[in-house]
Amino acid sequence: MRIKHDSSAVNSDMIRRPIQRWAPLFLVPMVAAFLIGFVWPFFHGLFLSFCKFKTTSNWEWVGISNYEKALQDQSFMYSFGFTAVFAVVSLVLINVFAFAVAYALTQKIRGANLFRTVFFMPNLIGGIVLGYIWSMIFDGFLGYYQTSILMDKEWGFWGLIILTCWQQIGYMMIIYIAGLQAVPEDMLEAAKIDGANGWQTLFKVTIPNVMPSITICTFLSLTNGFKLFDQNLALTGGYPFEINPDASVVRTTEMLALNIYNTFYGQNTASRGVAQAKAVLFFILVATLAIAQLTATRKKEVQQ
Amino acid sequence: MKKLFAILMALVMVLSFAACGQEEAPETPENPSEGNDEPAATGSVYWLNFKPESDEALKEIAALYTAETGVEVKIETAASGTYSETLTAEMDKSNAPTIFVVSPNGVPTWGEYCLDLAGTPIEAELATDAYNVYDEEGKLVSIGYCYECYGIIVNNALLNEAGHDVSEITNFETLKAVVEDITANKDTLGFSAFTSAGMDGSSSWRFTGHLINLEYVHEFRDDPEAWGNGAYGPATLTGAYMDNFRNLFDLMLVNSTTDRKELANGGFDAAAEFANGEAAFYCNGNWEYQGLLDKGMNAEDLYMIPYYSGIEGEEKAGLNCGTENYWAINGTASEEDIQATMDFLVWLVTDPEASEMAVTTFGVMPYKSAAESTNRFLAQANAYLADGCYNFAWVTNYQPNVDDYRAVAVAAINAYNADPTDANWATVVTAFIDGWATQYALANG
Amino acid sequence: MKGSFQKEKLGKNLTTVLFILLSIFYVFPVLMVVINSFKVNTFVKTDTFGWPTGESFAEFNNFITGMTFGGYPFAQSVVYSIVITILGTALILVFTSMAAWYISRVDSLVCRIVYYGCVFSMVVPFQMVMFTLSKTADTLKLNTPWTIPVIYLGFGAGLAVFMFVGFVKGIPLDIEEAAAIDGCNPFRTFFSVVLPMMKPTLISVAILEIMWIWNDYLLPYLVLDRTEYRTIPIHIQYLKGSYGTVDLGATMALILLSIIPVIIFYLTCQKHIIKGVAAGAVKG
Repeated sequence: MRIKHDSSAVNSDMIRRPIQRWAPLFLVPMVAAFLIGFVWPFFHGLFLSFCKFKTTSNWEWVGISNYEKALQDQSFMYSFGFTAVFAVVSLVLINVFAFAVAYALTQKIRGANLFRTVFFMPNLIGGIVLGYIWSMIFDGFLGYYQTSILMDKEWGFWGLIILTCWQQIGYMMIIYIAGLQAVPEDMLEAAKIDGANGWQTLFKVTIPNVMPSITICTFLSLTNGFKLFDQNLALTGGYPFEINPDASVVRTTEMLALNIYNTFYGQNTASRGVAQAKAVLFFILVATLAIAQLTATRKKEVQQ
Repeated sequence: MKKLFAILMALVMVLSFAACGQEEAPETPENPSEGNDEPAATGSVYWLNFKPESDEALKEIAALYTAETGVEVKIETAASGTYSETLTAEMDKSNAPTIFVVSPNGVPTWGEYCLDLAGTPIEAELATDAYNVYDEEGKLVSIGYCYECYGIIVNNALLNEAGHDVSEITNFETLKAVVEDITANKDTLGFSAFTSAGMDGSSSWRFTGHLINLEYVHEFRDDPEAWGNGAYGPATLTGAYMDNFRNLFDLMLVNSTTDRKELANGGFDAAAEFANGEAAFYCNGNWEYQGLLDKGMNAEDLYMIPYYSGIEGEEKAGLNCGTENYWAINGTASEEDIQATMDFLVWLVTDPEASEMAVTTFGVMPYKSAAESTNRFLAQANAYLADGCYNFAWVTNYQPNVDDYRAVAVAAINAYNADPTDANWATVVTAFIDGWATQYALANG
Repeated sequence: MKGSFQKEKLGKNLTTVLFILLSIFYVFPVLMVVINSFKVNTFVKTDTFGWPTGESFAEFNNFITGMTFGGYPFAQSVVYSIVITILGTALILVFTSMAAWYISRVDSLVCRIVYYGCVFSMVVPFQMVMFTLSKTADTLKLNTPWTIPVIYLGFGAGLAVFMFVGFVKGIPLDIEEAAAIDGCNPFRTFFSVVLPMMKPTLISVAILEIMWIWNDYLLPYLVLDRTEYRTIPIHIQYLKGSYGTVDLGATMALILLSIIPVIIFYLTCQKHIIKGVAAGAVKG
């Protein structure tokens, strides 16, 4: 991801100098918006995670106690576990199906374009709307069994999985198709001549060649799983709630992002700093995944 | 394709320059949506409303005030169960609400943002100080703006059809007899005893917020000291009257239009069931009165009776009278906005037309010059008191972290409705009683 | 040999059949929205999968009540969604492509800081900044549909700058040098020489940003002045937000109205959308 130090670019003063004079038009607007929309809120948020506050203007420094409270918060830990399981299950299902579909579609079957169009379509619809569409369908179906998606946590989990798969398989499929189309024809031909059967070709030739796509899709679906919010809010909203023996509540289908949101905007204003601390932890988690992806991709590139 | 792209780019350029123009415009201080030709800088009013059912009426009132005075009045209504979420988000903004609701359980959170109302013009209009909320230092944080009552609404025409009359019902036993008789003859009568008791957000508060009051209020009557004589809630509850709560709750659910197993799904319209004559009893409050008349019910058929639940001496019980609607004025707002808000509130409780509109949606307003209420349920509430019956104070107002607390209770009730066993009832008790202690510790810790 | 050929043909037919079934599963939810938007409210829950007939058929009533349902005109939400999406995408395209060119051509310390800042912002989840961002936006009056695009430019700059820089790096310098010799100033060089070459990336970025902004819920919900402005996702979330009773029929009607333009957009620009998504994913 580094800018390559193209010597001609750096040395070409003829290009560089005049452009620099245009910085107010070319660079400043974007940087100004970036400062407003990202940099300042980010550092302000980081700062507030060490404070107790009700509104942003009314804070009191408390050090790392917010982080201690966040890590001791059972609901946070529960939602972390739930989210992790969700992310892994959705990762496996999405990638297996997406790869299978992409593989089949690249075998020149009839109507491949039409199928591709249909499978990708759910990506165009937003998470909130998707959530309500599926909540109608699940409730219509579960109504026969006198239950609902909001009452059964097993269904809540699988409902979220089905929704996520339905939405993301098409997306990953597109990436896999691009990868599969880049597999060199001659290698496949050579495998055929050597008498390899379909499965052998798939595992020995095709899969090693689409490894970059696999890495991208794996991490993409993993981070998507961890960051899921709109669908969670609209489909289950964290329901059903269960009661601990101490009468505290477990929102059985609440994922990390929703847990942070609920801690922020929930009733208990004393925990707003804790919510910001949770958000920082959440950021570290997502950033770690991204760095892991980067390292993995790099390694693959070196091997090739 | 080239053409499409050219058009797209042209559009992008034009729009982006339009956007830049917009971006720079706010450099000069502007008054949002305020006519520039008005010379005097006036404040504006922003009321973050707590009662979804009053949303339309309040917007009409606001429009009336703006038409008369030119002062902008914004009404924003939080969806039920999300008031604190909305208030939290809005209070951090530059145009924060100038009027919001702070009931006793909200004082620890929002008390410091409230203007001390003692000695203000709006306080001078109050007819009683019974609904004043103070903080620990004695600051007048908020004042009640309407006085309401709830209980069990009865359609006496249907009772008569079934060969009964509302006057027969004086305690739990007589209520139960009438209800079970209706259920026994349900098919011939063509209606049920109770409306559905939906457990979605639009309806569950009738039970987790209102019906449960019968439990709290008897604890309160037994030991007022623990409740600070009604000035604040206790840290823990005993749960002594949960069996009574169960009596009435089960009666409502077993003899209802709807199978209790389906209630968690929500999507029921209890008001419509009642207005259409599908059920004779409906658990709700005086604020439904106007709506029921609008749906074509006759005023003289409508009665409201107390929560009879098998408690000794309940023949002398009255309705649940009180309020959870307290105006607080944002003390951190600008001088002009506070002044504008004060003027608006005084106008609201003194102007004949405005106060009549307000009273129609709110019930009784405890202000000297406010319009008289025509609400039959409130008249009945007063009749009970005149008969020497005891009032069910709204101690439900002390529910700590109310949205979370009720969410737990709904979860427990759903499990109980799905399978009404004693074990599941024990969870309901845990939710209401232990949940109180847990949330109290969180809110005050 | 002939046998294996037939087997292969059979396999392909089986796959086609399987895919037809899968396609039906994919279209089914949208179909249910269409069907239920013509159903009377109470039947949506009790008879979700049935065809609307007789007493359950609501004609166009759901669409009519839906227009004003939830205490807010739906048409207004649509207008705001369109304004925000177009302005936001336009701002991002213009300013990030300019910045990306500047960054890769000037390549000073500041440029590198900005570039790595943008890359960094791509991994920050929105929850990290949601509270403080809504405060900042409110203070600077970026809380209207006409000014919120600035927030989108700021928060969404990362991916766009990253993709544009990646592309500009690959453009040979000779062309720009020739333009400079011909007396073009950088403004003209950029808009008449560089920008047209960036077309494929511009389309990819535009597609990604449109899909993001149009469907975004939490950012506009927290940033916009909610007493006045709602976008389509916010509007739909409010419908479920229990103002009294929930009208599922009307909700489905509005959902249908909100996905029709999306599907039309998809079917007309399908090729570019799929290409754009693939490009964005591979880079991101």
